Amino acid sequence: MKNYPIWKSFTVISLVLLGIIFSIPSIIYDDNSDNWFLKNKINLGLDLQGGSYLLLEVQLEVLYKEELENFSDSIRLLARDNSVKINKVTVNQNDIKVIFDNNNKIDEIKNSFIQMYRGVGLIVNENILTIKLDDLYKKTIQDSAIKQSLEIVRKRIDESGTKEPLIQRSGKKRILLQLPGVKDPERIKELLGKTAKLTFHLVDDENAAALNANIEPFGKMIIADIYDEDIKYLLDKRALVGGENLVDAKGSFDQTEGHAVSFRFDTEGAQKFGKITSNNIGNRLAVVLDGVVITAPRINSAITGGSGIITGNFNAQEAADLAVLLRAGALPAPLEIVEERSVGAGLGADSIAAGQIAAIIGMVLVCIFMILIYGIFGALANVSLIVNLFIIISLLGTIGATLTLPGIAGIVLTIGMAVDANVLIFERIKEESLKQTKVFQIVKTGFDRAMSTILDANITTLIAAVLLFAFGSGPIRGFSITLSLGVIASMFTALMLTNFLVYIYLSFSNKKELKL
Amino acid sequence: MFGLNKIIPVEPNINFLKLRKNFLIFSIIAIFLSICLLSIKGLNLGIDFKGGTLIEVSTKNTSIGEMRDLLSSTYNDVSLQEFGDENIILIRLQNKSNQESIETVNSVKELISDKVIEFRRSEFVGPTISSELLFRGFQAVSFALIAILIYIWLRFEWQFGFGAVVALTHDVLFTLGLLSILNIEFSLSTIAAILTIAGYSINDTVVIFDRVRENLRKYKKMELVDLFNLSVNNTLSRTIMTSLTTLLALLSLFIFGGEVIRPFALTMIIGVVIGTYSSVFIAVPTLLIFKFRPQDEDD
Repeated sequence: MKNYPIWKSFTVISLVLLGIIFSIPSIIYDDNSDNWFLKNKINLGLDLQGGSYLLLEVQLEVLYKEELENFSDSIRLLARDNSVKINKVTVNQNDIKVIFDNNNKIDEIKNSFIQMYRGVGLIVNENILTIKLDDLYKKTIQDSAIKQSLEIVRKRIDESGTKEPLIQRSGKKRILLQLPGVKDPERIKELLGKTAKLTFHLVDDENAAALNANIEPFGKMIIADIYDEDIKYLLDKRALVGGENLVDAKGSFDQTEGHAVSFRFDTEGAQKFGKITSNNIGNRLAVVLDGVVITAPRINSAITGGSGIITGNFNAQEAADLAVLLRAGALPAPLEIVEERSVGAGLGADSIAAGQIAAIIGMVLVCIFMILIYGIFGALANVSLIVNLFIIISLLGTIGATLTLPGIAGIVLTIGMAVDANVLIFERIKEESLKQTKVFQIVKTGFDRAMSTILDANITTLIAAVLLFAFGSGPIRGFSITLSLGVIASMFTALMLTNFLVYIYLSFSNKKELKL
Repeated sequence: MFGLNKIIPVEPNINFLKLRKNFLIFSIIAIFLSICLLSIKGLNLGIDFKGGTLIEVSTKNTSIGEMRDLLSSTYNDVSLQEFGDENIILIRLQNKSNQESIETVNSVKELISDKVIEFRRSEFVGPTISSELLFRGFQAVSFALIAILIYIWLRFEWQFGFGAVVALTHDVLFTLGLLSILNIEFSLSTIAAILTIAGYSINDTVVIFDRVRENLRKYKKMELVDLFNLSVNNTLSRTIMTSLTTLLALLSLFIFGGEVIRPFALTMIIGVVIGTYSSVFIAVPTLLIFKFRPQDEDD
């Protein structure tokens, strides 16, 4: 072949072959194959395969408030130890203000407090002590809370039997979940919606006056029953043992009590539990879950085996779910769902089918149009266009990109836009054919002249696509990926493949003049 | 071969710039109206940007009326819409606090479960997220415009950059105005469409500007109006061809691509038409403001 270097033909042909070969896995789409080659297939996004996308926000405010309350409790204890009377404690959004009776011992209290909570800012003003929750301290709380939440969410999702979930931190205080193939997102939401903080507290049945007046004495708290808000319990604020000491929990069925959750403590928990139950026979022990009392049975005998059951008016599902929550452990703070996008498998399949039809029809229309306008040259451009599509598919498959519905739109759009480079070249050739007579020279000038225009024109589209990727989210990113790949592939197919095909055609047809 | 390419003459000689004043007036009116529409009527914001809940269901043995009766007795802020097929219904609920919305979705699902074959889609966007998404979308469009301009500025003289800005701003505002008047839903994928339109329109403009630059070097004596006209004519068949193939692909997407993607395809179709128009009739005439050569001072 005249004027065409062998290395160039070799490069073009091998790239085209690679493109076609590596699009095979995505076209066959064998889900279960472990073959290394067949694994190079396109990942379908949740909007195409069905599944749930959830964005959860860790309610850090709850934690900050909790920490401030801890401060307040500690200060009260310190004041008592130092025999100073506290006139008033105000808990604000970001700090607490403690007004002491006098300022005799205020420095001692301050120093002991700093020993307990490092990094907290304290300001003393006469007999007023202000304890601030500053940004650095908040960040420490935030980071550990997110880390812990991620771990617990992961455990709960694993327990729910979801395959290949994606769980990751998103921004400062959010957790992003992608759950492919989840049919019942409600159950997942249910599982994530509970903090599942389980604690055991002794019930104070002596102080009925406080309970009736609804005033919590220091060190006690009033908590409602899960089934009847009017039933209140006065409990020791200090938890005797908690969910963190559980090693196992599962749903069980008790002949007399119905569905229940049976649990087992670790060694430490079992010892504590044994001690409590043997010291408090005759008293009631409340099981508190997320701020409500599930049950408060009387301790009839010491329980030293380290296991027990929690009863309540559970049904089988509720008991099983509670067991899952207890096994996975408690979230440090409640999670709020701030965004949800769930797609059923039916819609996903419909979208794929519609996308395929649109792509094929778009392709056929463009191909017919190109042949009508440019004849043989149009047909050559069509070969490039088809190869272009293979290359996009193979690139998506090998880089492990995710194909979404907007991504399919990007491919269809690319089909229309990819011929642009060919059109630019052909128009240049057309112009040159009016000025020159040597066929190969015309083609060469045409390609050379069109080159810089093609680059300029495509780079602007690439800029838009890249920024879309940077700022876009989820499915929209899929669009920017296919658009970028399409633009890049179209430059290759036009400048190299069409070029190659045109040279072959001209060499074999032996044309003496060029009519486009 | 088929000779269809002869429809567009090889060296067309159409005086595009003759009517430039008319087109300028047309575009100014269109932009003015678009801005009025956007500020008065605004855009039909989807749940991505407004927040709220959307549930798509396929139903059996029921009608949209029956479903509406069923739901509106319990929820006063519910709206239903057939979605491409009379058995597929889209239910929208207005935004509430995050927790409340999730609970509402559950109870809506329960209420209609015996009429539903499949819950095809359920989307919830909380109030904080929707404002964040709007902000990020705005950011993406602004940065893309700036980046494209910087690129044009680096590759061409600054005057071309100015022409490109005018054309691009024109395209974005005009498209948004049409989205508003046609009440097309404005969602995340619309942002993608607008950015792609920006890329496409600039692409078109760049091809013509490329030719203007080339001709400026080639024909040092030609009147600028004639030179611009020649450049538009030189690139005319390419402009038409690329717009047509892109529109063919988009049309296929619009008709066959499914209900979810339709607003995107429609926005793109509008944008491609406007982008092509602005490259020829807005971007190029804008260059006339500038004197590219010393001898133009004599004009």
